Amino acid sequence: MAEVETLNMIQALNSALDLFMEREERAYVLGEDVGFFGGVFRVTEGLQKKYGARRVFDTPLAEAGIVGMALGMGLAGLVPVAEIQFADFVYPAFDQIVSELAKYRYRSGAQYTPRVVLRMPCGGGIRGGHYHSQSPEALFIHTPGLRVLMPSGPFEAKGLLLGALAGPDPVIFLEPKKLYRAIKAEVPKGWYTLPLDKAAVLRHGQDATLVAYGAMAPAALEAARLAEEEGYDIEVIDLLCLMPFDLKTLVHSVEKTGRLVVVHEAPRTCGFGAELVAAVQEKAFARLEAPPRRVTGFDTPFPYTLEDHYLPGPERILHALIETLEY
Amino acid sequence: MKRNIQFREALSSALADEMTADPSVFVFGLDVPDHKRIFGSTAGLLEKFGPERVFDTPLSEDAMTGAALGAALAGLRPVHVHIRVDFALLGMNQIINMISNLRYMTGGQIGKLPIVIRAVIGRGWGQSAQHSKSLQGMFAHFPGLKVVMPSSPQDAYSLLRASIRDDNPVIFLEHRWLYDVVGEVDDAHAVPLGLANVRRHGKDITLVCTSWMNVEAHKAADLLARRGVEAEIVDVRSIAPLDAATILKSVRRTGRCIVADYDWSFCGFAAELAAQIHHGCFKELKAPVERVGFAHTPCPTTRPLENLFYPSAKTLVRAAERLLGLDEMDLSQEKFYTYEVNFKGPF
Repeated sequence: MAEVETLNMIQALNSALDLFMEREERAYVLGEDVGFFGGVFRVTEGLQKKYGARRVFDTPLAEAGIVGMALGMGLAGLVPVAEIQFADFVYPAFDQIVSELAKYRYRSGAQYTPRVVLRMPCGGGIRGGHYHSQSPEALFIHTPGLRVLMPSGPFEAKGLLLGALAGPDPVIFLEPKKLYRAIKAEVPKGWYTLPLDKAAVLRHGQDATLVAYGAMAPAALEAARLAEEEGYDIEVIDLLCLMPFDLKTLVHSVEKTGRLVVVHEAPRTCGFGAELVAAVQEKAFARLEAPPRRVTGFDTPFPYTLEDHYLPGPERILHALIETLEY
Repeated sequence: MKRNIQFREALSSALADEMTADPSVFVFGLDVPDHKRIFGSTAGLLEKFGPERVFDTPLSEDAMTGAALGAALAGLRPVHVHIRVDFALLGMNQIINMISNLRYMTGGQIGKLPIVIRAVIGRGWGQSAQHSKSLQGMFAHFPGLKVVMPSSPQDAYSLLRASIRDDNPVIFLEHRWLYDVVGEVDDAHAVPLGLANVRRHGKDITLVCTSWMNVEAHKAADLLARRGVEAEIVDVRSIAPLDAATILKSVRRTGRCIVADYDWSFCGFAAELAAQIHHGCFKELKAPVERVGFAHTPCPTTRPLENLFYPSAKTLVRAAERLLGLDEMDLSQEKFYTYEVNFKGPF
């Protein structure tokens, strides 16, 4: 049995970065405030002190430059881990990500395969207002050429980040900041990786399939518990890997339950929930006993005062579950 | 007045008519006044309205999108043109973090933000991965933006006028092969934003299409008609806000649906349509909603790969046959991609 320690998600991510920096001398960490300050959320704390300001360095407030630089480093054979301080700030780097980073392997016939991991805190739940709460995962999932991951706890965070760092692909690593310090869990002290295309079944059930990821995974679990009080047996799936995502596990579950509810924080229209529903109805059309439902953020900018209403919570998820179950 | 004109002239006419009607309207962007005039869609404007209202810009999309925002805040009605939607990605922060939510963020104190961002999309000659995107799904994911995709000269004319008159930011996406399409344009015929259009009536299957896919769908419907299949074509036209009612009404009647979106299907607008249609027509659907769109790869350069990457009338026929449980008809003598021959560039 591997040695374990009890960590929150920030500490688990920090541990992954530390292990990787130690093992891989070509690894670099860059971003706004990641060096001297250790990151606004402290994910990179201590790394500059340990590995020096050459390998762990602060950048100007220029996201297009951060991603462009990371891409250049990747092309030169280094393994950069760049932090976008908040996912909301990623848009200045959009061209670099969508038109350059995501395309390099394909455009060069795999002559250039930049290994770049972009970490970015995402989502609401910390009273951050519109510019510190967004969930832009659908844009990256929609863009061919990127892996997109979102952990839901410390164990998943470390295993997925190490998996991403060890792999050959550009990765968008989204960290639900609401969970950063909210959950502590036992995490192996050493190196381990989680597969980059597997969902986790958090709870087995027969009556309906509830799919969530990131900060919505704990909310989904709570909704399943509430549904149990009403006499329903809900299966909860935490996707973890959004692109590619584990359609097989999802379809397998829906073939058993016949009912599906998907949950995410981002606005509904053209969100990832649309893909999940569209894909499941393609694969399990005849088995569906009710139309799948989406519980999501609303189609508005992220509100500051109405945050608790905007974010799907256990009550809203339960409501959708009951509607689906009673269809 | 009714005229038979090309799509490109419909656009330049709409711009000229709005600029004549409202002195606060101006048009700017890379290559807007150059000799090609954005495939002819800004032809004649410089001569008629002068360089103060029709002008070129530096190659700096972020700053120029910011300039459009500033102009709109100062009471003007800018039309910013991108000769490739891909280049709008450089202005994404202005579009998403500033423009799309400013009315909301100010609690309505900024009561209107009339900006039109025109952008050219789609296939040309070997455009590869950085000059061929469509991106309507990305824009439609952001509350506060309207997204419009005309597919006929009349819609190009009427929807561009409606977009310029709208007090919200509008993303206006034009497929470059459509510029050659000729059709009747009645300048008295208004088309409001937010309405889909049934372009062809049929009872057996609904093809829900965006932009160029309407052209492919008409060809597919002709082919299907030969074997007695009547396809209905619904042109979405307004991606956001979406006229779901018209689409659902059609699918409830036909019971079968192909969503043909001119973009990557995966996690895009096609997925949104499929999810809404499945939800809204759950009891009427006889088969899953099928998506036809780009393969989930960057856009390739060579023609054989492009022909696999982009959906065509043939893709639609085959999808319809699958949904209807029919054998594949012989298409070996059919010509596809005819518009590629018509396309004169420049790019």
